[in-house]
Amino acid sequence: MTSNYVDLIAHLLRRAGFGADRDELEARTAQGYDSTLDELLDPLGHPGIDDDLVFRLHPALYIPNSIESCVHDWVYRMINSPRQLQEKMSLFWHTILCAGHSKIDDGLEMGVMISMFRDHGMGSFRDLLYRLSTNPGMLYYLDNTESHKVAVNENYGRELLELFSMGVGMDDEMNYTEDDVKACARAFTGWNVAPAYPVFPHGRSQWQFRFDPADHDDGEKTFLGETGRWNGDDILDIICRQPATARFIARHMSNFFVSDEPPVPSWRLTPPLHPELVQTLERTYFESEYDITAMLRVLFTSEAFKSESVRYSKVKSPAEMAIGALRLAGEHRELKPGLFEVSLEPKYMGMDLMNPPTVEGWHTGREWIDSGTLVERINFTSDLLGNTELSGVRSMIDRLKALGQALSPEALVDGCLDLIGPLPVHEETREQLLAHAQRGGEVCHGSAAEDAEFTRRAGEMFQMIASTAEYQFG
Amino acid sequence: MSTHFFGLNQRAIEYSYSIGRNEFGGAGFRNPVDMAVGDDDVAYVINRPHESRPDAVRVTVMTLDEEFISQFSSYGDEEGQLTWASGVALDPQGNVFIADQWLDRISIFDKDGEFLDCWGKTGTGDGDLDRPAGLVIRDDGTLFLTDSRNHRVQAFSLDGRFKGKFGSLGDGHGRFNLPWGISLDKDGNVFVADWGNDRIQQFTTEGEWRASFGQPGSSIGQFHRPASVCVDDDGDIYVADTGNNRVQVLTPDGRFVTALAGDHRLSRLGKEKLLANPDQIRQRALAFANDPDYERHFNYPCSVKLDRQGRLCVVDSKQGRIQIYAKTKEPTLV
Repeated sequence: MTSNYVDLIAHLLRRAGFGADRDELEARTAQGYDSTLDELLDPLGHPGIDDDLVFRLHPALYIPNSIESCVHDWVYRMINSPRQLQEKMSLFWHTILCAGHSKIDDGLEMGVMISMFRDHGMGSFRDLLYRLSTNPGMLYYLDNTESHKVAVNENYGRELLELFSMGVGMDDEMNYTEDDVKACARAFTGWNVAPAYPVFPHGRSQWQFRFDPADHDDGEKTFLGETGRWNGDDILDIICRQPATARFIARHMSNFFVSDEPPVPSWRLTPPLHPELVQTLERTYFESEYDITAMLRVLFTSEAFKSESVRYSKVKSPAEMAIGALRLAGEHRELKPGLFEVSLEPKYMGMDLMNPPTVEGWHTGREWIDSGTLVERINFTSDLLGNTELSGVRSMIDRLKALGQALSPEALVDGCLDLIGPLPVHEETREQLLAHAQRGGEVCHGSAAEDAEFTRRAGEMFQMIASTAEYQFG
Repeated sequence: MSTHFFGLNQRAIEYSYSIGRNEFGGAGFRNPVDMAVGDDDVAYVINRPHESRPDAVRVTVMTLDEEFISQFSSYGDEEGQLTWASGVALDPQGNVFIADQWLDRISIFDKDGEFLDCWGKTGTGDGDLDRPAGLVIRDDGTLFLTDSRNHRVQAFSLDGRFKGKFGSLGDGHGRFNLPWGISLDKDGNVFVADWGNDRIQQFTTEGEWRASFGQPGSSIGQFHRPASVCVDDDGDIYVADTGNNRVQVLTPDGRFVTALAGDHRLSRLGKEKLLANPDQIRQRALAFANDPDYERHFNYPCSVKLDRQGRLCVVDSKQGRIQIYAKTKEPTLV
């Protein structure tokens, strides 16, 4: 296999999942790009996390009902799910179809919402929008529980259009009017939540959607130019037929999987970075009747995605940063104590999972990084990759040893960069790494003392690489 | 007029009452996974809350009349602490033995919760442990333990001396896949919840295989990840069919008698909690009217134990409570 092919597979595994260690990378390379992609796109064709074992070893993680246990559970799944793209898609939708614990104040409901993204995030977008519109947590988060026939609250109707499906505008045009927002909100009156059992004395119970026909505005509405006695269901049908919806979802996919786009509010006036890809995704959206998996297949087989120019061009989100390093280091690859603390790392890096700052979600790309979050990103990953007790790090050291009895400083630097990525770095960065390696000279293994020194210097080099600017990108 | 009886109608298993409520400390339970009942109906319940609340890792001591007595132990790996407690049993003196499947050790406390000793070493050899899960103690002081990741049952003296073993990984007779609960009948036969094989296995006291009950599934007589088993003086077998959210009752030869889905009614402690929180009473009234059955049902029942009177105690893990059933020959009118 050419190194470029290995790089391409590594690119796919980073973007369609949370990265891979070298063993998996080699296995996937042997499997081939198309076959690997087929597997990623067919999560139900392969076993997932063993939920029964989760209950047995970590009872509080099975159907978690506190926000702490829900985040813990999700991070465990992101690290360990064999269905990596399914888990990545749950993160994708969470960054777009946003609701947060700060208002919902019910961990169980946040867990239910993420499970919905996991279970249905690769199916029909129409189906996903329906599930979202009947998700009790979302209805509460965006005040649809306070929207009544006689007193309409427009919050859900507005965000459904602006942030969840069509976007404000495209190609310099507005996608909908204020009257459309009002009609949309009227159509969703009566979409509410049934009373749930209180937390005392036996813990939280799952909220249930309830449609109240007496509280539904059944009158005639004109929405996006179509007139009728629309219910929420009809509105979703109309939304899904809009070219703007195809554009919006396609562009979000390109933004999440290919290249960081400018912030969403500017999309009306700013064309997509990869217009041909977005157009192809729009066509696929309609041709497949809104099938997300069909769109993902087009995206991951596109030249835009495979292009060398987009590799390591996206700033890793905090979740990608933390989970990728954990997978590479081989840490928490099975259920064990201590993951709760680790599951807070994305939060410390600026991404409080299940609790986005607003319904608009997080500002992504370079906005993930500021002086505080950069320190956290570097500290966490360099501590992890410098921990030579961890199985993944030990495995990388063993592979370095297999390169030869003695490694020159150049071989040490290049070997470590290769195992961590393969990670291309600027010449200046490589010179800095090399300068450090040259201070220790050639590194050997064989005797116990040499092995210890080899391990120390390899771990140190992994730490330094984790601290580079290049490692912030994925 | 004729009456047609179908099924086994010589006995009935009837719900009596529930004890406990969800609590991180004090009078209640949080993610309880197993219990043991001693003299005077004193129950020892081990709690496995989420890592974010290590303060709630403890053993709750409470009578089956719902009188809270005390709690002991804490989260950690020091002597007297617990990390992943998974099984509990009492010796004839009332000392409390707890299996910790993370620390691979058995911790021993007296009946008042004072730490006495611990033993256990990680490994695969005779007497070594790899995720010890359930345990039961015979009157002669022999402790039987499911050594889950070694897929076997081991027997020890109470001070940890290896006495014997049986079983290995597999799905044939006498083999196991991550066994969990274990109990004895009055004749000393050993019953094991063969969790990963979705069945119950019965052995002689010497460890010879006698019978297997069940297969994977959700129909009657089938199990999904059974976590616990116990046997009453009539020989009837109670199985915590955890993954199917029910308890199944079988005859001594494994025929299906009935399945319990849970019948919870508010416990005294539960009522006290609600009375102190009137807003929750109002919310509860609306929820109850909307879905009266929700609260009754088991939610991952993972342990079944019999008290000294033969009452069945079901540890209803996700709801933080214990539902208690009694066996009657003449069922009450329902």
